Parts: sequence; structure tokens; C-alpha cells
Amino acid sequence: MIMTQREIQHLFWRAGFGILPKQLQKIAHKTRTQIVDELFDNSYRSTPLKIDALEFENIDYQSLKQDKEALKKFTKLLQDKLVDFNEAWIDRLKNPKELLRERMTLFWANHFVCRENNTLFAQQYNNTLREHALGNLRSFTKAVSKESAMIKYLNLKQNKKQSPNENFARELMELFTLGKGNYSEEDIKESARAFTGYNHDFYGDYKFRRFQHDYDKKTFFNRSGNFSGDDIIDIILVEQQCARFICEKLYRYFVNTSINKNHIEEMVEVFYPKYDIEDLMRFVFMSDWFYDETNIGTKIKSPIDLIVGLHRDVPMEFNDQKHLLALQKMLGQVLLRPPNVAGWKGGKQWIDSNTILLRLRLSSILLNSAHISTKQKGEFNDRLNQFIKRKKQKHLPFKVEHNWEHFESAYKTVSIKELQKYLLMANPSSETQSFLNELGKTTKQEHCIQLMSIPEYQMC
Amino acid sequence: MKRREFIKNTSLASSLVFVPSFVNAFDSIMQPNLGHKRLVIIQLEGGNDGLNTIIPYRNDLYFKNRPTLGIKGEKLIKATDEIGFHTSLKPLKNLYDKGYVTILNNVGYPNPNRSHFRSMDIWQTASHSNQTLTSGWIGRYLDTYGNVPYDAIEVDESLSLAMKGESMSAIATKNANRLFKTSQEPYFKQIIKHNSESHLNEHNLGYLYKTLIAAESSAKQIYETSKTFSSKQSYPNSGFAKQLKTTAEFINSGLQTKVYYTSLGGFDTHANQINSQSRLLSQYAEGIESFVNDLKENGTFKDTLILTFSEFGRRVKQNAANGTDHGTANNVFIIGEHLKNQGFYNELASLEDLDANGDLKFEIDFRTIYATILSKWLNVDDEKVLNNSFKQLNFI
Repeated sequence: MIMTQREIQHLFWRAGFGILPKQLQKIAHKTRTQIVDELFDNSYRSTPLKIDALEFENIDYQSLKQDKEALKKFTKLLQDKLVDFNEAWIDRLKNPKELLRERMTLFWANHFVCRENNTLFAQQYNNTLREHALGNLRSFTKAVSKESAMIKYLNLKQNKKQSPNENFARELMELFTLGKGNYSEEDIKESARAFTGYNHDFYGDYKFRRFQHDYDKKTFFNRSGNFSGDDIIDIILVEQQCARFICEKLYRYFVNTSINKNHIEEMVEVFYPKYDIEDLMRFVFMSDWFYDETNIGTKIKSPIDLIVGLHRDVPMEFNDQKHLLALQKMLGQVLLRPPNVAGWKGGKQWIDSNTILLRLRLSSILLNSAHISTKQKGEFNDRLNQFIKRKKQKHLPFKVEHNWEHFESAYKTVSIKELQKYLLMANPSSETQSFLNELGKTTKQEHCIQLMSIPEYQMC
Repeated sequence: MKRREFIKNTSLASSLVFVPSFVNAFDSIMQPNLGHKRLVIIQLEGGNDGLNTIIPYRNDLYFKNRPTLGIKGEKLIKATDEIGFHTSLKPLKNLYDKGYVTILNNVGYPNPNRSHFRSMDIWQTASHSNQTLTSGWIGRYLDTYGNVPYDAIEVDESLSLAMKGESMSAIATKNANRLFKTSQEPYFKQIIKHNSESHLNEHNLGYLYKTLIAAESSAKQIYETSKTFSSKQSYPNSGFAKQLKTTAEFINSGLQTKVYYTSLGGFDTHANQINSQSRLLSQYAEGIESFVNDLKENGTFKDTLILTFSEFGRRVKQNAANGTDHGTANNVFIIGEHLKNQGFYNELASLEDLDANGDLKFEIDFRTIYATILSKWLNVDDEKVLNNSFKQLNFI
């Protein structure tokens, strides 16, 4: 079955960050099976994301330990480099080698939420998410529980036989696997004991401290035994609710914020009991319902979707890395800096008075000296427009190098009139459509900015 | 009728009302009365060292734990035989002497978290320490009782979690003129003009349109109201004082905003605490004094309550770097004209009975303060906002 242009765009917005006409035309003759297969084939590998930092190679803790000043300096460096890692991650999303894997990594980073100041730990954690993004939930969850970043963030470090800390055990069940109401307080207490002794070394490698581990019998979900942390995860995964919880979260992110129970049950059927993430995602992207009109163009882009999506059409570089950070902050999503362990709620929560104004002005600010042409058909005010453009340029908050040549070449075969079909996933109402029709469309660039400045562009 | 109900009702009544008339309808509707009392929140970021702010200068344990950081009787402003203010707080002490200040000691919550982010999160969402909420306490106040985004204003570039609700959020602005200009982009006006009621009903896309319309009218309202008043009060030269000056202009111009949110950062004094804390407390107290004077001169102080908090206090025992590490319970300041319980609301924390970390054990749950302010000051149902029933205190 050949896919429509709109279906291909939908698939690429959800599994990636959109698609350029040039790429779209290349695969337009293929079937859904072929296109989806390619998506997975291209994400078969996992390319770790690493920042270039000579200082981080061949670290020798033994000698650092001797020199307090050097250790202090190094610890500070470990924190300072997080900004570089944030930028590197966004760069990766802009130019992904494994598109679907990167999209999944972004999803999992907001599922197994973690906040870590040590760049090396954060980087290692990020790459663990990437490696398991399309793998098996069982080994994924176990790997996450042994990550230095997680051990720090949810206080596994402080979880010792003599004084258990329940933070990780609670979030493991509430946010990572089962959801609220599917376990008891007693289950938390008992499972926390199973995760005692989890620790890490200076390099971020997992270290099990057996003297801090509680080897006694635990009773969890009506079973008793000398359970380890891994055992607890295995027992949790026996519950079909775990599969359902994950499927619902994936559905809300990849398909629609409103759940369709029948679709979820179909997904659970595929996911349980193997917990193979790739199988599940392939099923979703192959389902007819994934391409229902009710699911297309109805998701509010996250700030990262917006930034990366803009970049795909018109590549841009910030002259000052601080500006990219400031932009993320103003839009409400700084990568590696989730608000709390529940992550970003997304959807409508991205939108408030300030973010809507900034979002709608973003393309014009970044790509067109803050100018959006409101010229009606037949109006002649080019000189005025140029004047406004010059005047606005002086007050730009962001300095950006943009590459409109890339846009021109990628959209070469697309006429001004067709532009809308490529740039908007949400269907404008008839009034908005007539407004767009009335606009003077002098150049593809101007019209591109016009389209990117209406609320419909905020949807994918 | 609430604004959101109004949207629902009109959408039922007619399927195609053009937005301009619909927007104008809002402007002409009498705003439902939320009362004339307002709250100003000041967040001290980083964990202010409460023990060196309100000082138990006769307590041996205090000096024992703080051999170099402890502030002696002759170097502070005495309030009682036991308690003194940090010297930088002279302006606050002046307000205290006039009966405008209530100090609640030893405020915290059960199972305290010593991470800045997590603890700030707990304070901003009013959650339990083992619970994660995605909306802030003022945000939820707006969800239930708000009409327009500018019912709550954060004097900053973007919103804190405290100000974000599930269905409605506050608006952030440091500069009403700039916000107004942004919202007045001619292209947006065209979009708004061309939209229909049917569009506004669409689930997510409709929400974008509605928020845009509300943002445009809020920005306009804030700008047009606030430009009618320019403060004559002199303020110290600091970013924090500037936030307060902007807040005073908003208040004194007659803007019907119920909650303002401001913050002062830098209190994370792990090393060489003495100078940095002195400087920050001066900025705080001098700013507050100008602010209160400004409000008093314009007759708006009587309807204003100022709440100052920090995400945690600091460890009783000083560290090796002449600083202090993250702690737990802390003092909270309430400033206003008609306080029920002027001065010290309760005793200072015990320095004998500490927790396993060597931190203070809290006495007052911060959410009882929120509950009290919501119910006794803002006159709303605190349980609806906090999703829990908390004891009412007696400071207002």
C-alpha cells in the first residue's frame, strides 16, 4: 500500500522531527511496510553521544584524590561541561544518524527522568537510554537502576540496610512501571530493601556494596524470597499493568493525548510478556489507526520539536551558545533539566501567555529579523516593510546564522502555493485559510515565515 | 460568570461567533470580584541560612556549632533578650518595630529533601516530599478561581512552576511595554480577527488560539493600566529592587492582579558565607523597605500581604569552608499592615533536638501557611487549591 504525502509526513513528525520535500519525494513510491522497515533499519545501530573534552580522557582518580585543588577544579569542570552536552544533544537531534532511535531516546529521557550535574554521568546515562531505546524494557529498567545518575538522583546511594531510602522504589513503581494505585506502601518498603547496596564509583561505574545490602527475606507482590533489585523488576514485569502503563504513555506521546482503549489493548497484546520495544513501535507505526485523521496534526509540538523542526527547514546556528539555552528556558524545556522526576507534562502545559507569543514569533525572530509580512494581495509597501525589517533587526534578542539556501534547495520543486501542505500538519479552519489565501505571497521565504507564524504550525 | 464558563456557554449558544466581538465581550464584562486583597511572594533562592538571619545570640549551642560564623550580640540588631536580626536587616527591623512583620520560625515539611530543585519543587507545588505534582499552588488557585492570566504575574521572563496550573497559568513580565509590543504584532491581530468560534473548540489547536487571545488582551491590560502610574519612590539599585518597583507600579496603577511573584537568588552559601549573605540580606531588606513605603504612600499597603520563603535553611554546624551546607527548616516572613500576631509567631528552633543529619526538626508545615493565606487573605477554599486539608494558623 502506497502512503499519502500526509501519512508520510505524519509518520516522520512522530517518529522523527518532520521530513523535507526532497526526502519525501525519494520515498513516495514505497509502501508503508517498506518505509517503516527502513525507519527501523536506519536506527539499528546506536551511536553514543559524546562531547569532545580532552580533560575527560584518561581520568586518574587516584592521583586526583591526592590533590584537593585539582579535584575541586575537575569537579567544577564536570559541571560546567553540561552546557556543552545540552548543545551536543540538540545538534544530534538536528542531524540524527539514527532518527527513530533519537526520537525514542528523547521519549525515554522524559520517562526514566533523571537530573544530573556531573557531565560524565549525565552523558553515560543519556547513552544508556539511547542504547536501550528500541530494546527490551526488562534489561532497560535494570540498566537504568544501575546508572550512577539514577543512583544519585533517586537516593539509591543513601539506601542502606540499616536505613532504607524508599525514593527509588517508589518512583520505580509510580512513574517508571506501574502507575499510581497499583502497589501498596508495604510493596515500596519491601522493594526498597532489595535495592540496598547500589552505588557507583568516581567514573560512574556501578558498584554493589554487599555490606550495605539487605540479604534477608522480603515479601513483595505476595511473593517471598531473598530478592535482589533485579528480581523486583522481574516481578513487576509479570504484572500486565506494567505493559499497559508503558503503552499508554507511548500512545499519548506518539499517537494522541486522548487514549483509545481498544488501541491500547492491541498494543498490550503485542508488548506483553516479551516487552520488546521495537516490536511494539513497529506495530504502532504499521497500524491503520495511527494514520487516522484524528491523530494527524493534533499534537502540540514540544519546544525541542519546534526548535529542531525549524532547523530542519532552515538550518540555523546560534552565535552564542547561551542564547540557545535561554531560548530553551523561555520556551519551557531545557534538555537535561527536567522540572522534577515526573518530567515535562507536555501538551497544553507547554502553552502559557508568554510561550504562545514567543512560539508564534519564533520563526520570524530567528529567521527573518523578527518580521512577518502582513501584506495583502496587491498591496505595494515593500519599502515600508524593508524599513520595519531594518528597525526590528536592532532589537533582536538572538543572534543567529541561518541558511536559507538549504531551504530553497530542499523546497525547489515545491511551489509557493504547495508550501502549506509541507509546513502545516494541522488543517486551518476556513477563516484562517481565507486569511492565508488573501496574503500576498511575494517569495517562498516570506510565505514560509507567514505559515510558521500561525498557531497551526505549533501542531504536529 | 467565570471567563471559562463564558467561553463554554457562548460556544454552546452559537456555532459561529467571530472572535473580535467575542474578545470585546470579555473586555466589557465586569470582572468577577476576587476581592481586593493581593499577595506578593518573594522567593529567596539557594537556601537562605535562617540561623544567621534571625539569630539566637544567647544560645551556647549556636556558637559551639558556628565558631567562626556565629554572630555575637554586639554585631546584630537585638529584637528580644534571645533573638537578634542580622545587621543587614535594619530596614526589616524598622518594619518589625512598626508591627508590620510576623516571623514564623522553624517552617518546613516532613521528610525534608536537601536538593535545591526538589525542595523548591515541593514548596512551589505544595506537594508532600514523596509526591510529584505538575502544577503549582498559585497555578491551581488560577485553575479554580482565575479569570484572566494577569490574575497572577511573575515579574520575570518566564513562569515558575508555582504559577502554572492545569488549565490556566499566570503571565510573566518584567517589562509591560515590551510584553505589550510583542503581543501587538500586526500579524497576530490578523490571525485573531480571522478566527471563528468553531476553531476555538478544537481540543489542542483551540487552546493555542484561546491562549493567544488571552495573552494579547492581558498584555494590553497590564500595559495600559500600569503606564498610568510611575513610582516616585526611590529604590536601591539592584535587580531585585527593580522587580519590586515594577510590582509596586502594577499595584499602584490599580491593576486587579491577585498574586505577584518575585525572586532573589544566590543564597547557596557553601563557602565564605559572611559577605555574600550580608550583601543579599541588604538587597532584600532595602528593597522591601522601599516597596512598603511606596505602597503605603499610595494607600495600597493595607491590602497587600508579602510572603518571603526559601526552599530550605542550612545545617546548624558550619562547614570547613566558612560556609554552611543544605539544611531543612527555616524562617518565613509575613509582612503586612494588619497582622494578628506581630513579631515572633513561635519560638526559635531547638538546637539540641536535631535530626540524624544535624538539621533542625520542623515545627510548622509550610502548607499551613499557604492554607491560611488562601482562606483568610485571598478568601478562597484552600482545600480545593491544596487538595488537602491543612491546619489554619493565626497570623492574619
